[in-house]
Parts: sequence; structure tokens; C-alpha cells
Amino acid sequence: MSETVTIPSFAPRPKSRAARLSQLVPIAVLLPTMVATGIYIFVFVLWNIYLSVTNSSILPVYDFAGFDAYTRLWRNPRWTTGVWNLALFGVLYIVLSTVVGIFLAILMDQKVKGENLLRSIFLYPIAISFVVTGTTWQWILNPSTGLQSFVRNLGWESFEFSLITDRDTAIYAVVIAGIWHASGFVMVMVLAALRGVDTDMVKAGQIDGASMAKIYRRIILPTIWPVLISVFIILLQFAIKTFDLVLALTHGGPGISTTFPAMFVYDRLFAAGELAQGAAAAVWMLIGLVVLFLPILALNWVIRRQKGAVK
Amino acid sequence: MTAIDTIPNLDRKKPLRPSQVVGRIALYATLIVLALFVLMPLAVIILNSVRFNDDILRESFIGWPTRLTLENWGVAWGEACINASCTGVKPYFWASILMVVPATVISTAIGLINGFALTKWKMPFAGFIFVAITIGVFLPPQVVLLPWAIALGWLGLSKSLVGLSLVHIIQGTCFTTLFCRNYLINLPDDLIKAARIDGAGFFRTFWKIVVPLSPPIIIVTIIWQFTFIWNEFLFAITFSSSDFRPITAALMSLNANDTGVSEYGFGSAAVLIAAIPPLVIYFLGGRYFVRGLTQGAVK
Amino acid sequence: MKRTTKLGITVAAIAIAVSGAAQAEPKTNVLHQWHSGANADAINKLGDMYTAAGGTWNQTAVPGHTSNTIARLRADVISGTPPSAVQLKGPEIGEWANTGLTANMNDLAASEGWEDVVAPELVSVMRPDGEWVAVPMNIHRIDWMWASKSAMDTVGATGLPKTWPEFNEVAEKMMAAGIIPVAHGGQDWIDGTLFEIVVQGISTDLFRKAFVELDLDALQSAEMQSAFDQLRLMVGWMDEAFPGRGWEEPLNMMAKGEAGFYFHGDWAIGTMNAAGYEYGKDYLCSGAPMNSGEPGYILNSDSVVFFKQNDPDYVEGQKLLASTIMTPEFQKVFNVAKGSIPARMDVELGDDFNPCQHLNIKDLKAAADAGTVVRSMAHNMAVPEKFRKAMFTVISEFITSDMSSEDAARRMAESVINEY
Repeated sequence: MSETVTIPSFAPRPKSRAARLSQLVPIAVLLPTMVATGIYIFVFVLWNIYLSVTNSSILPVYDFAGFDAYTRLWRNPRWTTGVWNLALFGVLYIVLSTVVGIFLAILMDQKVKGENLLRSIFLYPIAISFVVTGTTWQWILNPSTGLQSFVRNLGWESFEFSLITDRDTAIYAVVIAGIWHASGFVMVMVLAALRGVDTDMVKAGQIDGASMAKIYRRIILPTIWPVLISVFIILLQFAIKTFDLVLALTHGGPGISTTFPAMFVYDRLFAAGELAQGAAAAVWMLIGLVVLFLPILALNWVIRRQKGAVK
Repeated sequence: MTAIDTIPNLDRKKPLRPSQVVGRIALYATLIVLALFVLMPLAVIILNSVRFNDDILRESFIGWPTRLTLENWGVAWGEACINASCTGVKPYFWASILMVVPATVISTAIGLINGFALTKWKMPFAGFIFVAITIGVFLPPQVVLLPWAIALGWLGLSKSLVGLSLVHIIQGTCFTTLFCRNYLINLPDDLIKAARIDGAGFFRTFWKIVVPLSPPIIIVTIIWQFTFIWNEFLFAITFSSSDFRPITAALMSLNANDTGVSEYGFGSAAVLIAAIPPLVIYFLGGRYFVRGLTQGAVK
Repeated sequence: MKRTTKLGITVAAIAIAVSGAAQAEPKTNVLHQWHSGANADAINKLGDMYTAAGGTWNQTAVPGHTSNTIARLRADVISGTPPSAVQLKGPEIGEWANTGLTANMNDLAASEGWEDVVAPELVSVMRPDGEWVAVPMNIHRIDWMWASKSAMDTVGATGLPKTWPEFNEVAEKMMAAGIIPVAHGGQDWIDGTLFEIVVQGISTDLFRKAFVELDLDALQSAEMQSAFDQLRLMVGWMDEAFPGRGWEEPLNMMAKGEAGFYFHGDWAIGTMNAAGYEYGKDYLCSGAPMNSGEPGYILNSDSVVFFKQNDPDYVEGQKLLASTIMTPEFQKVFNVAKGSIPARMDVELGDDFNPCQHLNIKDLKAAADAGTVVRSMAHNMAVPEKFRKAMFTVISEFITSDMSSEDAARRMAESVINEY
């Protein structure tokens, strides 16, 4: 890599009053955001943490009552089922959306005709709200209104498609709707990244007789890696917030088989009037998030450092 | 070896071998099948929006129209009874526009200027601010609903257009700042430095150098913000009033399970009406979206 | 014509100006969840009467689920702008009254003599701790058995079953005749509604102990297990597509004759009227089977709670709203539309009411005399929401899995302990 031309640095130069003032401008510009998001993020989260150790029931009260709410909820099947569902859904949704997205991107990268049209088609679901996504898939997957009755009306009377009405499989209906919603978005991101792969290097690798696996590991993967991390972050963010989609699609059922932590939080905070427990559940979600996130942020940072070092 | 296909076709001039012809056919077949699968829900809704509700109930939810009607669209737009008054989705649609457009524009502008300040000027705690903003992206909305209620109460903005827009602007700023920062960090520093040597101040540099180079990321954030705010439901019903109510609330009212006799016909039309603005933005901006993402929004 | 209109407007304007100067101008904004269908029609009747009485009517209907309405109420209260009137019910009224934020309507209650006319079962709900903070709009009966006329005719049943064993016989016959014996929806509250009807039919005493007093022994008693056994039979008589369904689709299945029976509250009447189904021709109704032979009655009631207001217009508006709700005219018009019966015991039902509603009043009086009226658990009249949700969890799990009755009863007791 070529050495960058050194530009005369101006930081140490003695400054006029006006110049010093102008240095304050960006800080002044950022200040409102810092204050507003600072309140939004830290104050709100701290308020929530505090609420979780109080006796709050239908309205917030601010007396300390200990950590009872934190342990109590692990005895609640709605919470434990929700956590398990989030884990299962999160893994399937993120992995499958990514796999389908990469697969689509690879297909789209074969110089296909009509790429713009196909891309628009694959991308449109991400513009559709979760409420509409859930409602529509509910209509399609419900045996009495959707696909099953459609196929049966065509004459195949014994056709069975009742994913959504079986407690053991309903969670996969949520996964399907989720993949439908997100995989086009993954495709677009990965496609964009693939276009950035240095073809000369791939060619060189092929000439050198490197195996395809090696070319992937050494050349293609490193290039699209940052994008995959971004994809992961965006999908994870969707997964954790899963709420509208399930409410519209299965209403958490059959039974409680598709309930989710975000639904539990909402239910405790609002329907049940158990503010402290709802807040505790939310804190558990934040803890889970941090535990998941630290390694990823660290990994991202390491990769960036390595890249920087190469340059 | 399918893996070889994954590399952009390096040499196009060679005539295709028979095996390659088969490969192309398989490729297009796969793409078309997948595209049809993705289009299915949209197609179902579009078809249902021009079917009579009786037909839908009698035949099946998925099916070709035996008779066509455009009445559903008129009913959904101007006559359907929502929230106990029969106005259709029209007033809610305009309420949403009134909220989404300013909130999108303002949060995008703030995001861009923040991104500029964070990446091209020496800022104290820039890294810390970055982490904080990332946390903001992940906060589940249920968790911040009550704190927002308190904050809006203090500001005297509960249940108002301005209040709800403010919520979306502040929450959205986390996303837009993140996007813009990641984009602008790849912008060559030399350009900025050159401008500064010429004596341009913060705003002048921003206006003359940064803005002209940023259309891709501006479009990305506009699309993201517009779609997100337009589709948001929980805050929309909590911080709205009978004078001002976004369209997602109206949709829920039309299609919720525990409402009137299933009106799939105009329910579908209403869903489509609500989906049109984000879809239009995606189709118009989609090309730039891809370009914007490539250039760094996600790196 | 034009001139009179103008004159009219001027007079009205003066009248408003004068009255505004003299006293507050009644205004209200009712927060409720009746955003569509027959429910919306019913609440709009209140709006019409309120406007006619000189008030300025406004409403905030929250779509979706009850928790959305509660979320909205909580957000409003903690942002310092509590709604002037909100639709709430059961023990929740008492919980909100304990916060001290509710308005005291005792003066109005005394002057209008509410205590003498409101159904005695409701007085303690509307007047927790001796303060009237709410007014009842209606009485809903939960334990209804709706039967399809055509299905009954097909199997040649002569009368509606009076006990669960009788019901089971008829259901078997329908099954054999290719009719779905039991129509059912797929949401937890619909499951809970069905089960509480079954429990009441097994024994009123069991219902009281388990669902009102949350007695742990009763929750896992042999009687409770037999209630689950009955529910298990009924699950076998449902069609496979019930999960995810709302409450109206099963109602249509029953009224159309696709299904034989549907157990659900009497808001069904409003919907069946709107859809044009007729009593005697399309459907029949009676109280759900009672093994004991006692008159059964599971009571539910919609009510409006008032929160303290600073603006004198809204304070005045609350009084006007409470008075309007308590008028016999409103109680009549509203309940014709909603399928319930008036909360005032002194209102004569006219011909506008459906035969099932007339039966409702008769059965309520009989049950009140026999002391067998119970408050609905499934509809938030008996226990706080967290216990209700905990029991729903078990009931819904039971319906959608092959859990044994013994397990279900034990789990129900456990889930209640966990919520203490």
C-alpha cells in the first residue's frame, strides 16, 4: 500500500480566538444529541433497572425491595418458554436468513438478466411492517383460510399443512415469516459485499492452484466478513425485539408455545400490572444482549485492528 | 463443483459448454421460483383486495378472483369504520405522513451532521458516544415506553404529533448516526483538511464537501427511518390521541382478531394502502440503497 | 331557512358563552377498547346521548388487545394526564382506587340513589373502600351455551342438554353425523372462558374456591381434575384449525351449522344480530350445563372508571357521563346493541331485546336467589390479572397438548403459588 502524503498538521499551531471558537462548533453540534440520546439510553435504562428492585405493581414506586423479581420469573413458564423460543428462533432466523441471503446473493452475482427487478422483488418484504407480515402469513398458514384449504379446493383432499396450529411446529411458522421478511435484505448486503471482492486476487489464487475452500477462506470471506457482522447485528436486533410479528401471526399460541421474552415484558408491564417484574425481565434481556454482544464487538474490533495493521 | 459458480464469471467471451447451459437454466429456474415464493404474500393480498369478501370467505383465502371489484379500495380509503368512526384509513394515512416526513428528515439531518462531527473532527469521548449509540439501537421498545411517557409528560407533549415525532427523532438518531458515522469514516480526510486550509468552518465544510458526497447514505437512512417510523405500532397507539393517530393503529383495528366479522376484502386493500409509501420509497431508492450500503453504511 | 340557521347559531353561541361564564362546560374523553363492530356501535350510542345532554364527547379507542388499552392508561397516568374516564373492570377498579388517583363520585351516587338500583353483585366492585369511583354499564353473562338449530335438528335432539353427561351424548351424536360438536377459538382468554364454564358446571363451590379465593387445595382437587377430564373430551370434539382463531369465527361456524355448540359470553348476541342470524331459526341459547342442577350464573360487567381531573370542564363532564350511563334509557339502548343486560335492576326489557337477553334476566334472578352467582375469572372480575394469566397458561397448554388432568390441576396450583 502506498504511503499517504503527510499533510501539514495544524493542531499544535497557536490559534486565534476565532479558530479556538470554531473548534467548539462540532462539540456544540453534537451536544443536543448527546444530551437527548444520553437521557434516552442511560437514564431510561437506569430507571428501568431501579424499577426492577422496587415493589412497583401498577404504578412506579421507588422503595427498594430487593432482587426477588429477578429469580421469581424463572419459575414462570411464560418466561422460560419465551427464552427458549427466542434462543431457537434467534438461531434459526439468523442462520437461515443469512444462508438463504448468501445463496440468493451468489445466484444474483452470476450476471443474471433483470437483476434490478429481481433485487427489488427480494428486497420488498423488509419494507413491510411486522404486523402486516404476521397477519398475512397467518392468513396463508392457517389451515382453514390459507394454503391447506387452497390445495384441498384444487382437489387434493388429504393435503395437510397445519404448521401453525400444532404447538410443536408453530415456532417454525414464525421462523418462516421471519426469513421471508429478512433474507432479501441479507442478499442485498452480501451482494454488495461480493461486488467488492477483488477478482484479480481470486484469479491469481486459481492460477496458483489454490483450492476453492482456500480461496473462500483467504480472499472472499475476509472481504464480506464486516458485512456479515452487520447483518448479524441487524438480525439480532430484530430477533430480540420480536413482538408484533408473533402477536399477529400466532398470538403466542397454540397455548404458550410461541411466546417471546418481549411479549412477557409487555404483558408484565402493562396487562398484569407487575412493573417490577416486567422491568426485571427487561434487565435480563439487556444482560443477555450484553453477553452476546461483547464477543462480537471485540471480534469486530480485532478484525479492524488487523486490517489497519496491514494498511 | 458449484462453488466455482460463486466467483463472478471471469471470462464471458467463451461460448457456453452444454453443462453450463444446464447450469444457467437451473440458475434462472431457482431464482424465479424463489421470487415467486417471495411475491406470494403480496400477490395474495393484491388479489384479495379486488375480490368480494363473500367470495373470499366462501372459496378460500388464496385464490383467483372469480369476480372483480374495486370497491374494497374505496371502502378502505374513505368508509371503513375504525376506532368507532367511519372515515376509512384516509385521516390516519395523512397523520402518518405528517409525522413520518419531518421525523425522517430531521433525524437524517442530525445523523449526518453527527456523523461528520464524530469522524472528521477530534471529539472527546468519540468512541464512548459510538458505543452508547449502538446500545440505543438495541433497546427493546417495551422497556422505554414508560420512561418516554414520563419524559413527554414533563415536556407537556404527551399524546401529540410533536411528542411522538420527538420520540422517533431521538430513537432514530441512534440509527442514523450509526449509519452516517460508518459511511463518513471512509470518506478521505484529505478533502476535509483541504477545505479547512482554505479557511472553511464546520458548517461550510459540511455543506460544501460532506453533503454533496453523501447522497447514498442519505438515501439509506431516509429509507430506514421512513419504513421504521411508518410501520411502528406500540408507540403509535400509546402516544396518539383521537385528533392524531398513525395508520398502523388503524390497520390493527381493521385486521385485529377480535374485531368485527372478518373483512378480508377491504382489510387487504387497507394493508396495501399502508404499505404503498414504504414500498414506493424502496423501489425509487432501492438502487441507491444497495450502493449506499456497499459504500460503508454497514462496514 | 338560512336566516333561521344563522339565528340559531347565534343563540347557541350566546347560550354557550353565558353558560361558559357561569359554569364549566362538560367535556369528556373516554378511553376504551371497543374500536369496531357491535361494540363500537354500542359506545357510539353513549356518545350520542352524551352530546344530546349538552356535553362535548370525545373518545380514544385503542385497537388490538386489552393490554394495549392498559398500556395506554398507565402511560397517561404516569405522564400526569390521566384520562377523565376509562373502561376498566373487576378488581382492577379497586387497584386503581388504591392509588388515590380515581375521582370520588359519592355525591352524585347519593343524589341519584345508585345503591338502590345497581345489581347488588356489582356495588362492591364499583365502590371499593366505600367510594364510588366507577359506574357499571351492563351485566354480561359468561356461561352461555349457544347451539346451532340445524345441528340440533340433524341429530334429533329435543332439548338443550342440562348437564355435562347429557351434553356429551349429544356431542357424540353430532360427531357421528359429521358436524363439529364444539366450535372454539385459539386465544388464551377464549380457552379460559370455556374452562371456567366447565368448572362452574361441575360445581359452583369449586368455582368459588378455585377461581375466586385461589384455594390451592381446590385448584388441585379431584373435582378440578374431573373438570379437566370434561375439557379433554371437548377438545376431542373441536376441529383442528382452532388455534389462532378469534372469538367470532367459531360463532359463525355455530350459527351456520358447521359446528354444534359454542360456549361463550353474550356479546355474541350483538354480533349475531349484526350478521342477521335469528334466534330459533339459526341458533338456540341456554345457560351452560350444570351437573348440580342449580341455576348457574357467571357474571361479568363492563364499567367506566373516573380519574381525578383538574380542568373543571372535565370534572363536570364526568358527572354528566356518569349520570348518562346510569339513565335507564342508556342502559337499555347500549345493552340492546351489546347483547348484555342492564346493570340497573329496575329497567324493564322491551321487545328490542333478544329472547336470550330475557332469559338472562330470568336466570340472573334465579341464581341470585339461590346464591350461585359467581364473578368471572376469565374476564377479570375475580382475581388480579397475574393469577388469571398464570391459570390461562395452564389451561391453554392443556388444550393444545396431551397433558393429563392430574398434571393440569397440579400445575394450576403451582402457577398460582409462583405468582404470590
